[in-house]
Formats: sequence, structure tokens, C-alpha cells
Amino acid sequence: MADLMLLDTRRCVYFFLYDGSKVRGEGDPTRQGICYFYPEETPLDKQDLLCGQLAGVARCVSELSSSPVRTLTLRRCKFAIHTKEDLFWALGCSMDVPTVSVCELLEHLINIFCFYNGSVRQSYQLNSKESLAARWARYLSHVQSGPSELCYFFRCLRTIDSTNVDPLLFLKAALILQACQRCPLVLVGCIFFRGRVVSTQMSPQLTMKVMVYESEIYTKSQKSKEASTSSPLGGAVSSTAVFLTASELQYLQSAPVNKDLGSQTAPHKKDPPKKTRLSRTLSDTPSSDSETPLQSPFRPHLSESHDSLFSPASSQSAESANPSPRSARTPLSNGRDSGEAEEEVQEGSYRGSFQNEEDEGSHGDSSVFTETHRVNGDGGAACGADGDHRGADSEKKLAGDPGVCCRKGLKAETRHPPPLTFDGLEESPLVPMTLYMYRVNGLVLALLVEPPFTSDTNSMKEVNQSSLASLNGLEAHLRAVAPVAPGALGQSMFAHYDCIQSTLKTNVSGRSVGGPEHLFVRATSLLHSHFCDTETLQEAIIRNGSIAVYGTRSVAQETYFLQHGGAQRNSGIPNQQDSAFSLPSKARHKLLKHGVNLL
Amino acid sequence: MKCLLVASESAEVLFHWTDLEYQQNIQERYGAAQEEGEELPAFEDILSTLFAPIIISYSTMEDSYTSFTTEDNHIYVLHQFDECLYIAVNGDGEEKEDDLRRKMYVMKKMIEVMFGMVTLSGNLLRKELRPQDTEQRTRLWKYLQSLIETYTHLRDNDQSFLVEAVERLIHPTLCEMCIEFLERSLVQKLNSSVERAGEEVLHAFILVHTKLLAFYSSRNASILTTPDLLALIIMAQNLYPCNGDLDDPSPEDIESTSGSGPESFYTPEPSPSSRDSSSSEKCGRGGTPVFEFVDPDIQMAEDSLHTLEVGPPDPSTPRRVFLDVSLKDGLYPMMPHSMYCLPLWPGITLVLLTKIPTSAVAVSVYKYLEDFDKLEKRLRDSQGSSAAARSPLNMQDVRSKLDKFIKALGPNELQFAQLHSVWTEFKNRAFARGKSGFTKDLIPLCKKMKTQLCGIYRQCFLTDPPDVSHRLSLGLQERAQAMVREKLMDWKDFLDDFPGLIHFICVDRSSGQMIAPSLSITERTTSELGKGPVAHYIKNKVWGLVRTTRRYLQKGYSTVTLRDGDFYFCYFLWFENETGYKLDSVNIPELSDDSPPIGMLACDYYKRLLRYYSKNHKGETVKCYELLTVHLGVIPTEIILQHCRQLASKLWEPSRNPLL
Repeated sequence: MADLMLLDTRRCVYFFLYDGSKVRGEGDPTRQGICYFYPEETPLDKQDLLCGQLAGVARCVSELSSSPVRTLTLRRCKFAIHTKEDLFWALGCSMDVPTVSVCELLEHLINIFCFYNGSVRQSYQLNSKESLAARWARYLSHVQSGPSELCYFFRCLRTIDSTNVDPLLFLKAALILQACQRCPLVLVGCIFFRGRVVSTQMSPQLTMKVMVYESEIYTKSQKSKEASTSSPLGGAVSSTAVFLTASELQYLQSAPVNKDLGSQTAPHKKDPPKKTRLSRTLSDTPSSDSETPLQSPFRPHLSESHDSLFSPASSQSAESANPSPRSARTPLSNGRDSGEAEEEVQEGSYRGSFQNEEDEGSHGDSSVFTETHRVNGDGGAACGADGDHRGADSEKKLAGDPGVCCRKGLKAETRHPPPLTFDGLEESPLVPMTLYMYRVNGLVLALLVEPPFTSDTNSMKEVNQSSLASLNGLEAHLRAVAPVAPGALGQSMFAHYDCIQSTLKTNVSGRSVGGPEHLFVRATSLLHSHFCDTETLQEAIIRNGSIAVYGTRSVAQETYFLQHGGAQRNSGIPNQQDSAFSLPSKARHKLLKHGVNLL
Repeated sequence: MKCLLVASESAEVLFHWTDLEYQQNIQERYGAAQEEGEELPAFEDILSTLFAPIIISYSTMEDSYTSFTTEDNHIYVLHQFDECLYIAVNGDGEEKEDDLRRKMYVMKKMIEVMFGMVTLSGNLLRKELRPQDTEQRTRLWKYLQSLIETYTHLRDNDQSFLVEAVERLIHPTLCEMCIEFLERSLVQKLNSSVERAGEEVLHAFILVHTKLLAFYSSRNASILTTPDLLALIIMAQNLYPCNGDLDDPSPEDIESTSGSGPESFYTPEPSPSSRDSSSSEKCGRGGTPVFEFVDPDIQMAEDSLHTLEVGPPDPSTPRRVFLDVSLKDGLYPMMPHSMYCLPLWPGITLVLLTKIPTSAVAVSVYKYLEDFDKLEKRLRDSQGSSAAARSPLNMQDVRSKLDKFIKALGPNELQFAQLHSVWTEFKNRAFARGKSGFTKDLIPLCKKMKTQLCGIYRQCFLTDPPDVSHRLSLGLQERAQAMVREKLMDWKDFLDDFPGLIHFICVDRSSGQMIAPSLSITERTTSELGKGPVAHYIKNKVWGLVRTTRRYLQKGYSTVTLRDGDFYFCYFLWFENETGYKLDSVNIPELSDDSPPIGMLACDYYKRLLRYYSKNHKGETVKCYELLTVHLGVIPTEIILQHCRQLASKLWEPSRNPLL
């Protein structure tokens, strides 16, 4: 794992945040403006030089072109640049990383920071440079911790390997999440197992942000396990303040189902036009600027459900008592919500009935069908993409990546956010929310909740009661799933990126420098850049003296494929017998086995 | 929104070219920061002020900038050649990063062709590019600006400049006749005339627009390299621009003489163009306002020099050009030649390249420059003073030769006196009695000697205007012109109406020649693609394809196929030996993003590629070919590949005529 980290750091060469407002006067030293610089061991002179020159030259170019600088390339390093008022971010990567990916990575980093800390400017007013530096370091380390070099090129969610997991477990996870949403203070949720997504109701971008905290908690739990005895009940609750951008919130609000019993009247009226899912790309990550102010952030919202498949789930024995350190909970009686469930059916406004879930196998439950029908009708696109979403990469790596190093400065307990952040400088309101996590060993239930949730004992109780038993059961099942052995690379290498779900399937780690995997990764980098540049490009075959790589893309996916062997000697003159040109059909054939359909 | 700026390290503008839009943009930007009513300073001063922070930051950084992009897709590309920093900017999306980098390299190439070895001395080049005399400066900058514009126009419209290889007109009978005529009648006659004033015609060629109809080199001439030839075509084209559609031709009826393959071309009917430089610059560029720079209003605004209208050049005045020459004892870059461009008919030009009587001086200067350069390097690398003893450089030999050389130059000119005094100082220091003076202390004197040698070179070959007595007499030029006109008279109409081909580009990189069908997009002519938006669309696709394949080639990929929209593109690069045997493909070197552009004009990538490949094929002549094709996407890939194969094997067959 150590060499793994080394490789990662090699790709990201520099990252810094520089505050120009701190260096106004002639005599102000440059380092006064340096908020964070990675690698931290860089000599101060070098930090000064890079921050001062890059920020200065970027300002000059921006003024000349009346447009902010986006990238800045040196001979051996390329920087993505982001500026906001006097704040200047630069992320420098090695030259092999596609430029578009460097830019996305920087946006992603900044978004993560804002998600957990709110406005950057305000964070620096409220906190010390050092504590925020620790946070930047953690986020940076998190975004670099992907299992494959390809994770630099594609922002991707790591999902659980679906190939030998009973599909019913996914349904179960989805049901747990839906059950949690019965509490009006719960917006959306997701379930992780050992650092991988089992089920999520959030957009991939939001899920990625939530995972930062999850991996931190997970790492911590792993450590504490080694150090001391784990909680006998295996569960722990933690929460942290988070901030949603207006667009994220709107996106959540635009869900097809309204669960607020009180306000049934045309909940869709306020909804912004829903994003066309097919056109959603990586760059759709909501940025914190250009958001419109939000009138009512505390309205309960529903997520757009990605997990609308519905099936009866048998309840697990409610064997464990709730280990929450923060509130006493009593298990709900199974029948408690039956009245409510009926109401739902009548009103047609309620989603899943967790009561039925808790009951054993209620196949014919009408509310279940109502639910299914509604969601399928309104969120068809989401359903269609669902299979892919769950499709996990064949990566071997388990969660708890040491890359997500555990910083001691941050506590898992709630940091109370300022009520509502309107940052004058950033002109975009970030809406405070709470990220609530409930962990059972390797399994984590993460919920985005309204801030009052954590002080609302009843709500907490309700959620915990509804999910506890199921979570324990799910955890036990997932734990029992044998990890898949790292399949030999075999005769082909591939990478398949789902742009809608932000998931990557690949049998390549790309860590053997100079080996064929490395060649494949480099070709993929070039082709990915080309696909990003040229909208009309559908497929490409490129060949050098050693390898031939086939790349193809559609609106929803990008696939790269290499076949070993058949590299017989050739002159490079056009030849229909040439094995390079049979790659498309080979790819179609071979990738079907991995659940990738290129037809 | 385009700009090319050459600046010294101290942010002095050595040359600039901007289009109208960019100029206005810069002036607004500057004006915004100014007090109202204040007059705008000279444009070059504005540029200097606004770009200064970038230029200074550039020299501060160790691993320095190669490019910037902004949110609204302005692109800046930076590159330092010796002591000059080039900055190219595009703000209208018409050029990509590699276009800008290529433009800078081409600019540098043109400067080398114009100033020769003076470019080796940063100090002298600075003076040369930015003459003190404002009139001179205006004239020079205008000329360089027009060269950039001509080049850009060719790059954007002419397939031979797209792939940077010379395009020939293929008509064996005519070509053979012309070559014979150039050899037997023209060059012999010129070289035996007393009116040649010591000059000797080395090369003669006839251009039909940018295409080569015939090329003849005299027996004792060295080979004219493809990069040089392309640069000369730009200069000729700049002098006598043809009308809009350079890339021409319409295949009105394809003369099919054999089963397959390209047999013939059509060239467009040239329209009359004036010799007056300013009006000819404007002449029909397909309606696109490429040449805004000659807009009189802009000249007014440009700087205070606008009153100095530059007159049209005397067409009989040869242009001094510096070209690579390979002599028996090695390669000599930037040797002085005179270039005569004699217009025959609009769009058809005879070009004569002559060796000038004093060119031997250039060979000597180059040798001495090399000697001092080697010495300097050796002194720098060596520890202690014993370097000279171990050095295989025979400085005693250099000493006696240089003594003679200086004596022969004569003591009259100031420049020679300066060289003499520096040389004396050097000798006193280096050959001091008793001890070896070859220590690191000698390095500054080595530098001084190099500067002085460049100065001599400048004095000999760059004095402006060139000596009237040292050129082919006007009468001789006119006679040559008349002879070729007479000879070609019968063919003129044919040349105006050359037969065309189908759809691909094939390049022989060993000879630097290309074959391609027409991609005509103007109103007047039609290609197989017809005219209007579809043809235009395909033209853009072809241009984009070349850019893409270069990008992959830069990263080592020599085969590329792309399915893009409704089209299927193929690119192949392969090697053959002289007998046509296809050699195995190898991994070709991967280059960095800021490496010189792939092409032949500014920096001969293919020459290096061939050298690289030949390492494993000692004793064999290796040839390198490229084929680009565009097919409709609905055609099955196997058929496309089969077609490519046929093209690749048959394309060069009909072209076995001795053109170059």
C-alpha cells in the first residue's frame, strides 16, 4: 500500500490555495497569502515562487483576456486554476493526466471542502489556517486514493462488486433507505460497505462527497478496532455539518414524490426543470458559484430515488440494542405505523412503508405497489440506469484505504454550523445540512438530514428503529460474501466508465510502470481527452509498435479495450488482416462477460 | 483575435503581429486604465506594458510556462528561442494550441531564412528585428507580418501546407519537358552570361500557385531541403499571391488513363493580380478578411509611423535568403543565396536561386563559429586549466586560419576592425607565453568572438539594400522570364485547368512530397464534393484529422482510425526500403507536449524519425510514407481498409518522373 500512495502523489504534483487579499502591500510577504500548500514539505521559497508567480501571471492573463484562467501549463506539470475573488487555487498534475481531468479534480476538491466547511472565505475567518490545512490534506488524500491510475481520469464512485452479491441484498439496502425517508427530516441516504457504495439515493457527485466522511469514519473505526475493543454492539453514530449548494438542494427537491403529508398541493410547481439525465456529465458537479438564493431550505425534501426496485425484504432479528451514544432509543413495535401506511395509500403521497418491510414478506401490500408504480413512472431514467449503478468494479481493493489518512484534528461529533450561510463574497448561499452516519461494523448508513434531526429524539428514534435490524442483517450478509480473488488480467484489458452513474469498471490497476497496463492507461488518457474535445467522435483505434487500443463512447459511457497476444509483426501499412481492426468485435464479445454491452 | 509577439527578456517588443480584433481589444483594455483624453501610446508600447508581467514571470520561473487557457477559451502559447520569447495568442477559437506553437516555429524559421546566422547572436538579432530607424522598422515588420498572414492563409487553405510537404503537378510529359528546358536552355544560358555579375544559378523551379511544376538543380548544387523549399514557396506566394482558392482545383472531367490511382490535377483559373504589394495582399482571399492589417485606419492607429508608406518592392531586387547547404565536408546551415521571383502569369512563377560570389565567407564564418562554440563548451565543462591540452580542438590551426581570414577581409570596415581587435585580445589571452590561457576566463572572449563573427556575416550578407552590381542584371532576368513564358505558352491553358483526383492525402516523407485530391470550397469551382457547406465541412474535418493524427503521432501512435460523425478516418504511417518492401513497424519516440510541431516546414520531424528508424536498418535506404483517408462511416471497415491498402500501394506508381 505504501507504493500505492507514492504513485498517487507522483501524479498530483502540487496543490495550493493562495489568498491574494493577504498580500496587498509592497512589503507583504507572499507566504502570508498561502493558505495551504501541498506537498507540505516543499521549501518555503519554492512555495512563495509558485504561489506568487502563478497567481500573478494568471491575473495578468485574465485581465488581458477578460476571462479567468482555467489551465496553466509548465513544461513538466499542468495546473488547473480556479479563482474566486482573491482566492486562487491551483492543482498541478503530471503531464499524462488529461487536462480535462485535472480541472475536474480541482473542482471536486473545492466542492468537497465547501460541502464540509461551507464558504471558503468564512471558514478561514472562523478556523485556524492549520486546522483547515489538515482538512485540505485529508480531502486531497481522499481524492487521490482511488484503486487505479484510471481514477485520475474519471471521477468515479467505488461500488460494491455486484457479481457475487445476492441481488436481494441490494433491494434490502434500497428499502432501508426508503424507510428512513419516512422521517420528514431525512432528505436522502446511502449505504456503504467497507468504503464502497451498496446503494445510494443521491447523485453520484453528492455520494462522492459523502464518502469522504465515510472513509474517515471507517479508517477511524479500523484503527480503534486494532487499538481497543470494538463496541460489542458494532454500531456507532456520528454526524457532521455539511453544506449543500442551492442546485444540489433543488435537485433533491425535484424528486418525483412528495412525502410531506401536510403540503400535498402541487409540490412540483416549485421544482426547477429536471436535469436531463442523459446529458449529465462529470462536469455537472454543481459548483458553488452561480447559484440562486433559496427561499425555503428547510422544506423537507425527497431524493430522486435510484433504488426504486422494490421487493419484500424479510426482517432480520432485532437482536441488537441501539448503541447510539447520543440518545436513547426504543425499538418500534412492528404495527405502529399501520395507520400511517393506510393513509399513504389513500393519499398517494407516501413512499415506502417501512412497517411492511419490518413485517415478513408482505408481497401483496398495496402501498408497495403504489410506490413502485409511482417511482417507475416518474423516474424511469433512474430505474434504467440502476443496474449499471450497482454494477461494481472488479477491483479487489477493500475500503479503508490508508490513503484516506485519519487526521486527528477532526472529531466525528457534530460541529454546529452557523444557521444559514450567506457568504457575501461567494454570492452563493450554501445551505447547512447534517450528515448523519450510523455504522454497523463495515456497514454505514449515511443520511442527509435537516439540522434539527440530531436534536429531535423522536426522529432519531424512528429512523434508528426502522433501520437497525435490517442494517444488522445486511451487514451480516455482506460480510459473508467472499471477496472475489483478483482475477488474472487474462488476454484483455478494459476500462468502462459509466458517465451517468460515475462508475468505473476495469481489470487494470495501471500501477506497473512501464508494463502493458501502463501503456493501456496512457492510451486511455489520450483517447479520453480526445473524446472530451470532439463531441462527434464515436470510436477510435490507435496503435503504436507495442499495443493497439480501441476506444468507444456513447452519451452514457466510455469504453477502452486492449487485446493481448495477436500483436504479430506488421508494417503499419493498411491491412484488413491486421488484428488491430478486429478489436471492436472482440471488445463487444469479451466485455459482455463483464456485463458491459457495447451494442 | 490573434496575436503573435516576440519579446526580449527585458520585455522589449522585437516584433508583433495582431489582427484587427485583437488590436482593438488590447487598445480598449489599455484605454480603460487610462485617464480620459489621454492619447494612446504607440501600439507596440501598449503591448509591451500589458505583456510585461507575463514576460518577466516567464524568466523568473525555472520550469516555465508553455501555455495558458482561460474560461472563454483564449489560448496563450509561450516558447523561448534563444533570447527571444515568443507568445502566440488566440481568442477566437480558430486556432488550437498546436497551431499556435507551429506558427511560432514557422515564424522562427522565416526569421532564420531572412537573417541567417545573425540569429545566432541574440544581441544582433534584437537589433536586426527592431531597427532603430522607424521607417526601416515599419518596413521590416510589415514584411514579416505579411509573411505570417500568407503562411496562415496557406496553412488554413492549402493541403500541402496542412501536411507540410511539397505538392507536385503530375503530368509526366509536361514536367519532363520543363525540367529539360530549365536545364538545357535556361540555367545554362544564365550561368554563361556575363550579366550574371558573379552569381550562379543553382536551382530553378516553376510554381503553379503553391504547387511545383518543375524543379531543376544544377549539378554542383546541394539538395534544397523540403523545409527551405516550403519557406521559399511562402515567400513567393507572399510576393505574388494568387487568388482565393489556393488549394484549388476542380475536376471537371477526370482524365482516367488507367484503372486506378490519381493521374492528374486541375488547377484553378488564376485571376489577374496586381504586383502592387498592398493591393495584391488584399486580392481575393475567398472573402475572408484575413488581411485586416493593411486597413489604412489601422495603420493610423497602429503607431506614429503610419506616414511612412512603404513602396512596392522593385521586383528585380533579389531577396537574400539563407538556406541549408550540404557540402562535401558537412552540412552548412544558413548559407546566403539570392532569390529571384519572376512572375510568368498570375499564379505562375519562376523562381531562381543563385549562389552569391562571396558565399565562401559564410562557410568560413560558420566554421569559426563552430570552433569557438565547441571551445566554449569544452572550457565550461572542463575542470581546471588542462582542458586545452586534452582538447582535440586544434586552436593553433584555427589561429593561423583566422589570421589569414581576417587579413583577407581587409581592414577598411569598422566591423572588421572590431573583429580584429577582439581576436587580438583573444590571442593575447589564450596563447600567452609560458602558460596555457585556455581556462574558464576565456569564455567571455569566446562569446565576444562569436558575436563579432556574426557581425561580419551581417556586414557581408545583410546590408540593406543589396548591392545592385551583385545581382543578375535586369535584362537577364527579363530574358529568362520571356524564355519560360514562351516555352509554356502552349501549356498555359492546360495549367489553368489541371485534372483532379479523389479523396485522401498521401505523403512521401523521404522526399517531402504529397499527393492529394482537391478540396475546393469556393463558389467558382467545384470538387467531387460539390461546393458550399458540405465541402466546407469536410475540409474542416480533414484539417482537424491532420491535427488529431499529429497529436497521436507525437505520442507514438502511428496508426489511427476514427469514427467521427458520419465519417470514418484512417491514418497510417509506415516505412519501406528502396525496393518497396514494407519494413516492420517499431515504437516511435514519444514527445512532450511542448515539443516542436510535427511537420517539415519549421522543424523537420520526419528527418529525425527517418534517422531514428534507420538506426536498425544500416545500409538500407528507408522511406517513410503517410496515408490519410476519409470515408463515409456506413462503409464496412474491411472495405475501407482494403481501399486504403490499394491506395497505399498504387499511389506512388504513376509518379516515377524525375521531378526533384
